[in-house]
Formats: sequence, C-alpha cells, structure tokens
Amino acid sequence: MAAAVGVNKQTNAASMELCVRHGRGTTGNTVKVLECGVCEDVFSLQGDKVPRLLLCGHTVCHDCLTRLPLHGRAVRCPFDRQATELGDSGVWGLKKNFALLELLERLQNGASNQSGMSEEALREMGECIIRCDEDESHTASVYCTVCATHLCAECSQLTHSTRTLAKHRRVPLADKPHEKTLCPQHQVHAIEFVCLEEGCQPGLLMCCVCKEYGKHQGHKHAVLEAEANQIRASILDMAHCIRTFTEEVSEYSRKLVGIVQQIEGGEQIVEDGVGMAHTEHVPGTAENARSCVRAYFADLHETLCRQEEMALSVVDAHVRERLIWLRQQQEDMTILLSQVSTACLHCEKTLQQDDCRVVLAKQEINRLLETLQKQQQQFTEMADHVQLDAGIPVTFTKDNRVHIGPKMEIRVVTLGLDSAGKTTILFKLKQDEFMQPIPTIGFNVETVEYKNLKFTIWDVGGKHKLRPLWKHYYLNTQAVVFVIDSCHRDRLMEAHSELAKLLTEKELRDALLLIFGNKQDVPGAVSVEEMTELLSLHKLCCGRSWHIQGCDARSGTGLHEGLDWLSRQLVAAGVLDVA
Amino acid sequence: MKHFLRVLTQFLVFLYCKCLWRGLKFIFRKVTGRCELQRICYNNKPGARRTLKIESSLKCSKSELLQNALSVHPDAVEKTIDDIMALKKINPDTNPQLAISLQASLFQIVGYRNLVLEVEKLRREPYDCENPDHEEMLMKLWKTLRPDSALTGRISKQWCEIGFQGSDPKTDFRGMGLLGLHNLLYFAEHDKAAALQVLHDSLQPKHSKMSKADWEKQKFDKAIGYSFAIVGINITDLAYSLLVSGALKTHLYNVAPEMPSLMHFQQTFCYLMQEFHRFWIEEDPCDIMEFNRVRAKFHKRVLKQLKNPDMALCPHFTASDLHLVNL
Repeated sequence: MAAAVGVNKQTNAASMELCVRHGRGTTGNTVKVLECGVCEDVFSLQGDKVPRLLLCGHTVCHDCLTRLPLHGRAVRCPFDRQATELGDSGVWGLKKNFALLELLERLQNGASNQSGMSEEALREMGECIIRCDEDESHTASVYCTVCATHLCAECSQLTHSTRTLAKHRRVPLADKPHEKTLCPQHQVHAIEFVCLEEGCQPGLLMCCVCKEYGKHQGHKHAVLEAEANQIRASILDMAHCIRTFTEEVSEYSRKLVGIVQQIEGGEQIVEDGVGMAHTEHVPGTAENARSCVRAYFADLHETLCRQEEMALSVVDAHVRERLIWLRQQQEDMTILLSQVSTACLHCEKTLQQDDCRVVLAKQEINRLLETLQKQQQQFTEMADHVQLDAGIPVTFTKDNRVHIGPKMEIRVVTLGLDSAGKTTILFKLKQDEFMQPIPTIGFNVETVEYKNLKFTIWDVGGKHKLRPLWKHYYLNTQAVVFVIDSCHRDRLMEAHSELAKLLTEKELRDALLLIFGNKQDVPGAVSVEEMTELLSLHKLCCGRSWHIQGCDARSGTGLHEGLDWLSRQLVAAGVLDVA
Repeated sequence: MKHFLRVLTQFLVFLYCKCLWRGLKFIFRKVTGRCELQRICYNNKPGARRTLKIESSLKCSKSELLQNALSVHPDAVEKTIDDIMALKKINPDTNPQLAISLQASLFQIVGYRNLVLEVEKLRREPYDCENPDHEEMLMKLWKTLRPDSALTGRISKQWCEIGFQGSDPKTDFRGMGLLGLHNLLYFAEHDKAAALQVLHDSLQPKHSKMSKADWEKQKFDKAIGYSFAIVGINITDLAYSLLVSGALKTHLYNVAPEMPSLMHFQQTFCYLMQEFHRFWIEEDPCDIMEFNRVRAKFHKRVLKQLKNPDMALCPHFTASDLHLVNL
C-alpha cells in the first residue's frame, strides 16, 4: 500500500510538471483527457490509477472501478449505466486502455525532452557525441595520444600531414586512454592513490604528495587503478546478480499469468490427430470447483428428496394402518350396536307376549343377556386398553429417518472390562440408586427413558470368557457405551486392546461410541484428558462419532451428560426441545 | 357394581381385622379354655409350621410384651417366656410342654433376626488386601479347590481357573463382600466332593455327549460353561435375598432346633449351589448368556418350594450334620 502511494505521489509530481509545461505551450485539454472522469485524478501507467476499459468504451481508473457497486457479477458504467460483465478476477480482469497508456507514456517522455535542454541533458549528450577539436561542426572519430586531441578522420589527415606528426599514434575514439585526473591540491600531480581511512571518506583520492606529505600522510592507502578495477569487478558482479534477479521476477510474473489463466480457463489451440488446429475450451480450476459444488449440492438435494419421500411413505403407511384399524373398529361397533338393538327388540317383544310364552322364552332371554354381558365386558376391556388419540407425534433421527410414536427407541450395548462399573451405571440410570453389584454373568437388560428417548440398554458381563460373546449383541445396535475404570491404570492397556477390537467389528461400523471414564470420584483417577491421550482415542476412533465422558456411578454425575450426547447424535437438532 | 363390591370386600376385611378376629379369638379362648399360643403349640407339629404361626400371632398381638418378645435379646428369652406365662395366666405345672415349645420357637425367631444382622454385617465388610485374615481365607480357598497346583502369585491369571473374572479376585467381592468368600470357602471345605464336582463340570464344555473333534474345537471357545467363583457369588446373592425377604424362614425353622446360625446359612448356600448346578444341566442353556434367565427361573422354583411349611432345603446332608428337629 505504501509503495502504491509512493508511486502515486511520484506520478502526480511528474504530471504536475507536465501540466505546467503544457499550460505554457499548448491547450490545457490534453491534460484533462488524462484524468479519470470519476475521481478527476491523473491516470498513471500502473498502480491504482491505471485506466481500464469498460464494455461501452468508457475509461475509468482502477481505483474507481473497485469502488463501483456490483450488480451480480457486473458493474455499471458511471457515464451511461451500461453493464460490463466481470470475470473471476473482478476488476483486475478488465483490459487496460493501452492506447491511453501509450499516449501517457509519450507525453511524459516529451515533457522530459523539452525540459532536457538544460545542462544535465547536455552533459549526457556530450558523453555520446564528441566534437572535433579542429572544427566544431565535425564529429570526432579518432584520438591522437600525443597531441591529446579529438579529431575527425578529415582533420586528422589535415593536421598530421607532416612527417613528424604523421608518426603520432592515433587510436579510434573508443580506445582512447583514460585521462589522468589531477589532484585538486597539487595541480601537477595526477591522482594515483586511494585513501582507505574511514575519516577521509569524502576526499579519499590523493596524489603522491598528498600521500607522503599532505593531509593523508601516514594513512592506509591503495593504488587507484587496482581499487578502480576491484570496484568495476564488483559492479559487474552486481550487474550479473541484478540480471538473474530480473529473470527470476519475470519468471515469477510469467508464472502468475499462467496461474491466472489456469484459474480462469479459456480457449486453447489444440492440434488434433490429423494435424488440424482448432480451438478448444479448457475449463479453469474456478469452473471445476464451481461444478464440484454444484454436483455436491445436487447430490445432497437428491438424497434429501429421496429421504423426504421415504419419510412421507412411512407416515402414509402409518396413517393407512391406523385408519384401517379405526374403520375396522367402527364397523365392529356398528355390528355390536345392531346386535344390542336386536336383543332389545327381542326383549320388548317378549314383554308384550302372554305369560306362558314369557316363561318359555326365559331361557332364550338368559342366553341373550349372557352374550350381552360378555360383549359389554369385552368392550370395557378394550376401551380401557385403547387410547384414542388423533395425534401423530413425529420425530426425526439424525439421518433424516422419521419415527412415529411418543418415544424413540434406541438400542445401546454397554461393554467394558470386568468390574469397570457397567451394571452399576445401568442401575444408577434405571433406579437412581447406587448399589454394589455382583459380577454379571451373562447380561442385564433394562430400558431407561430419558427425554423423548427410550434407551434399551444391554449390559453384558466383562469377564474374559464372555468377551467373545459380545459380538452377539452388536446387531442393530445404534450406540456402544464403553466403560473404563479410571482408577485402574494398569488395566487401561487391556481396555485399549478390547476397544480397538470392538472398533474393527463390521456391525458396529455406524454405531456411536460413548466412552465413560467411570469412578472419577476416586482420588488418583485418570482424568478424561489424560485417558484420551493414553488410549490415543483421536487416532483410534478416527472417522466415527465418539465422545468421552468422565462420570462417577456413585453420585451419578456425568451419566446424563453422556445420554445427552447420545441423544444429540441420534436425533435431529431441535427435536429434543419439542418433547 | 364391580367397584362397589370391591369397596365392600375391603371394608369387610378391615372389619374382620379390627373387631371380628379379636372377637373370634375371645370366643375360642372361652370355649377351649386355652389362649392362642397354647392352641398353636398343641395343634401344630414343631418346626416352621408352629414357629411361623407363633411369630405372626406375636406380631399381631396388642400386648406390648408379646410384640417386644420378637426382638428380645437371646439371653432374655427365658425370662420373657415366664412373663408371657404369667400374663396369660397359664400354670407352668399343668402345661410343662408349652413353656419348652414356646421357648424353642422364640429362640428360632430371635435367632433368625440375629442371623440376618450377622449376614448383613458380613456382606457389608469389603474384602481388604491389607487384612491377613482375608488373604489367608483366599489362599485356603485356592488350596482346597486346586490342591495339585501352586499359585504363582497373589495376582495371577490362575484365579480364572476357579472362575474369578480377572487376575485379582478382590474386585469380584465388591457386591457381596466377605460373605461371598465365607460361603465359597465353606462350600469347598465342608462339601469338598460336591464343590470339586461342580468346579470340574464348570470347566467342561456344555455337551458331554459331544464328539471328540467338537470337544477339541469348543475347548478353545472359552465361552462355554459357567465360572465357579462368580456363580458362587451370584448364588450367595440369591441366598442373601431369600434370607432378607424372609423366605428362608421355612427352611431355617425346620432345620435349626435352637437359634439358626451362620453355619445353617452356609449349609443352605451349599445346597443351593448343588441344586443350581443340577438345574443348570437340566435346563441345558445354549450359552452362558442365559445365566440370568436360568437364575431367575431357579429363584422362582426355590421360592415355590419354600411356600410349603414342611419344606427343608437340605436332603444332601447327613442327619448328624443337620441336627434336625426331633422334639
């Protein structure tokens, strides 16, 4: 940023100069053209004020373009509101107005040419063109080493025509020996030495008089020529270095261009098998990434649609079944009603008959009454049993399956080494009381209701002999609770190996893993963090959802947090709060 | 209608308990000239039948003396009996048998209560590695069950051979405390043949009829058969729950002529161990995972047996061992 500002200042200064000079000679309009129409700052060859071309033909500086509001992926021209589509690289992707840039460059050069007629410029010129000493209008081409004069070929012939002068050694101007510079203090002596003292830095050149008797008397010194050669060599070295550095920079910028191209993609000329060249569209990485995202979401969308359909079909099936059952019941009730009314009718008829017939009908009436009573009993039993409720409570699992019913059932298997506290945890959850259990032979099974979940927990004994039998409990298990005794350091490795074995089971591939670090209340127990470290759980449980929870079955702390975690994993977010 | 009947029944039961029962008792007393305790003693055989009735009669009595008789200290039993005789105005000379019968029953009742306390105390005492007595008992158990092989160390995989869960038996005693160890040791020492038989069977594969090849295969499947020690601890739990629930009263009142002691409880345990072993073989469950189901079934069967007041759970001991009631 600072560099950019610096550049700006420089160019501003340059253009100010330019402005002044033009104001003198030509009209001010030329200057006006080179300002951005929006911010009225002068365009520069690079940096923020670079002129960029819009689709409509207007030119705006880069800085202003970046400040324009985006309409989707396009910007509107501030002059005629025409939209220009931006590529992936945004404003950077717009073409620079090269015509304008060329003009700008030329103007700047012209300005320096005009002002350049000063001494500085002349000196520069003088270095290039050496006049002939005989005739100012000629250009020198040779140098006479004896007369120490610059001569053109013609004058050289003329002046050195005599026999003596013809012997003068004349060399081409390029081979002219360097003139000896004279010491400013001792005009007769040439400078031959260089002082090496720190204190003499500005006037370090000296002649033999300065060296022996002058101000550099007794100073450390070097021969001028050697020193000069040394410096020349170092300059050559530096030049070499600069060349490689430039190469590196240009190589890098080439690479940048290549990468921009790779990202943006575009047309590429490809030769096919027959040798015919034709352009081909090469997708850039940006496009690839975009299509990747699109594919992923399309896939997700499809899955969601499928899951929605499936869930709806589950609900449909449930509703159908329920309705069929209700209709059946309705029908049954109608039949029952008609039966009852027939019986009533029969009774009434009997009432109206004469005594003999009434007596005769007694048995039949009794039978009727009996069946009626039986039906009534059945009815009350059924009515007690059936809960009439129009509600269809719906919950969702994390994998977007629908579950109908007030409680969601989850099958959990509790495993771990012997005396880790599996049964204690189970009974603590079930009855909220602590008891010292006896070793579990076989298994215990209990259902624990928590929030709107119903955990069926299978607690399988941890004895050595039983461990091969654990596998019979894996099928359809949604979660495994692995209990570890935190105060038994020496058995941690055994627990680790059992856990590792467990995780390789195919049937538990999708099961959640909850690890209880039990007996945290005992002093000296291994903390949860330490246990994670010791069992290298992050490595072991890589790629599955797992959680380690410190707990203590005696007071029950941590147990419900564990169940909370399980339910969060199993049930879609937000459903728990509904219940 | 139904509801009304239910209420009426409840009312009648309540009425019977409150007034009619006492009235009936009064009438019986007048007619026969004997009090209730006398009637029970004369009409029932000694043993659980008589003691259970005396216990319930005393419990329901409105006299404080009779109620307190149930929780009296064993040393004060004789004095209590004298007090009861005085209260009921029974002449000891004309009814010499009554005092003896009553005293025996009361001893049994008080003894049972003390036994429950004693067993509970033992159960609550955790196994302590620092205690030499505990360690000694554990070593003795090993020596009795495995006389041929020496234990390599206090903590050793060998413990699994006699059916402990891990290499340190201590952890298996958590629920039953020392009671488990006492019972196992008693079983191993006093009924050694049976214990060794059970241990031997527990190490065998399930099907004795299996072919040799199958046997070889199954031998490596360690899931077969149950484990002696932890089954012992489980059966201890069973016996303990029977004792605490009062179901064992029938048995103990029948086998213990005086106060039932820990020894009686341990004999019961031995019996239950053998019976369970037989039951297990009869049931022939397909693997150890069915243990809890089999255990529940066995528990139910024992409870049913104990409903019969003449029942005693001890056909495997010799008469001298049992000190059977012979009054």
